[in-house]
Amino acid sequence: MSALKITKGESIKRFVANNLVPLLFLLICIFGIPLSGYSANYLISEVIVRISRNAFLIISLLIPIMAGMGLNFGMTLGAMAGQIGLIYISDWGVVGIPGMVLAAIISTPISILLGWWCGKILNMAKGREMVTSYIIGFFMNGIYQLVVLYGMGSLIPVRSPSLVLPRGYGIRNTVNLAGIRKSLDSLLTIKLFGITFPIATVAIIALLCFFILWFKKTKLGQDMRAVGQDMEVARAAGIQVERTRIVSIIISTVLAGYGMIIYLQNIGTLNTYNSHSQIGMFSVAALLVGGASVAKANIRNVFLGVILFHLMFIISPMAGKNLIGQAQLGEYFRVFVSYGVITVSLVLYEIRKKREQGYEGARLAAEQKESK
Amino acid sequence: MKLRCGKKLLIRLVAIVVVILVGVMMYFIGREHTVLLDNKTVTLASGTEAKALKLVTVQVDRTEALELAARDRDKSVVTNQSHKITVSYTDANWNEVTITKKFKIPVGEDMVIISIPTLVANQDAGQDIWLTKYVAPKVEIKNPQDEKGVITDEFSFSI
Repeated sequence: MSALKITKGESIKRFVANNLVPLLFLLICIFGIPLSGYSANYLISEVIVRISRNAFLIISLLIPIMAGMGLNFGMTLGAMAGQIGLIYISDWGVVGIPGMVLAAIISTPISILLGWWCGKILNMAKGREMVTSYIIGFFMNGIYQLVVLYGMGSLIPVRSPSLVLPRGYGIRNTVNLAGIRKSLDSLLTIKLFGITFPIATVAIIALLCFFILWFKKTKLGQDMRAVGQDMEVARAAGIQVERTRIVSIIISTVLAGYGMIIYLQNIGTLNTYNSHSQIGMFSVAALLVGGASVAKANIRNVFLGVILFHLMFIISPMAGKNLIGQAQLGEYFRVFVSYGVITVSLVLYEIRKKREQGYEGARLAAEQKESK
Repeated sequence: MKLRCGKKLLIRLVAIVVVILVGVMMYFIGREHTVLLDNKTVTLASGTEAKALKLVTVQVDRTEALELAARDRDKSVVTNQSHKITVSYTDANWNEVTITKKFKIPVGEDMVIISIPTLVANQDAGQDIWLTKYVAPKVEIKNPQDEKGVITDEFSFSI
């Protein structure tokens, strides 16, 4: 067993290697905060807003990871369904929490249908789920634009003139969500040290976290973990692998739809043709910044990711301006970092996987040597 | 097995129906309506005239109370279908009069108009008398191409 002993230096090295992305972001934030010149109160309140806005969306990514399907870039499908729900409640003039609930109800069947379809395709592309779901997102975006730009107002009835383009069909570029703006965030709030805490939103996010924890312990959750570890072993154990994978994508898509509704109620404006397109990228990036990998993610990664990733989002324009005199550089930097962090995480995941395999081989060799 | 399948299907159907019912309920609870409050002299169907009140305070549900002078019109934005209107004014004998009436906004209506003088004159009448659907006046915008003989540049000759 002596060959397997890890020294303190090695364990530190492993910790750094395993948490390189969060540590890198922590370093950026430590340098960026004094440069930005923002007060602690401002930063904390902004981070709280970002947590309440984004956490639900990011949590929706956890279940497909559990089922071994990697990062579900197809969550944009759910986001589109959520947006369709919001377009309808805006058309019908349903406001406040009932409006949000109704938007969620409208989005659910659309999300289920899209999730089922996406899951079916992903089952045909096993091992390449992430890139496939990414492309599905692009494909579906085309169909979404076709429906919203040409179908709504002509084939699908939309009566509100404030929604329909002057030509008589198609939805306008921007939909004002004044009716539901901050309706959940301001439902129940507490003000401490000048910082407003949206208790209702936080409670819903906490509820989803508990749901995820409970779900992991259910039969379906265990099946997903088994499928995630080894599909063939799971199949041999009698688990319906394909069905389990589809269910995981459906749940993720439905949750992404709800997450998008929460996200947009916070912002208060729906950018009809763009809101959903970047959401998958930023949610995935935030989760990876939190220390998650393609194969492993938990709730801790979600919150650490939102805090670090969005802290960087908040400070980078001002830090860029104070450092170089151009806020544009900070803007550029944060977009570059979002894409970069995904690349770095994927590369690190592969390196880590190879290293683990090497370590496992060394352990087996050592065991065999000792048994001789 | 057949029985279990049937039970499962039934539970799913009931769940779907419940979700749809919740959706319908949310539609009615969260539907936003604009109630226009009009204090203008109107001629009633009987031929009599309901004169505008000099000064009246109107409140719909718990929204802000609005003070309307004669010929004034204001609006209250409310959600839900059923509402309560409270009208307070001073009559010719200097008595403070308060009228409270309940009304329902017809399904699918965005905007309704309540004639305060009609309501005061017909306190016992149903809402059909003093509450009507608001029809926005149509403004016809002429297509500039149809307008003939319009000189757009009156100084063109002098250049």
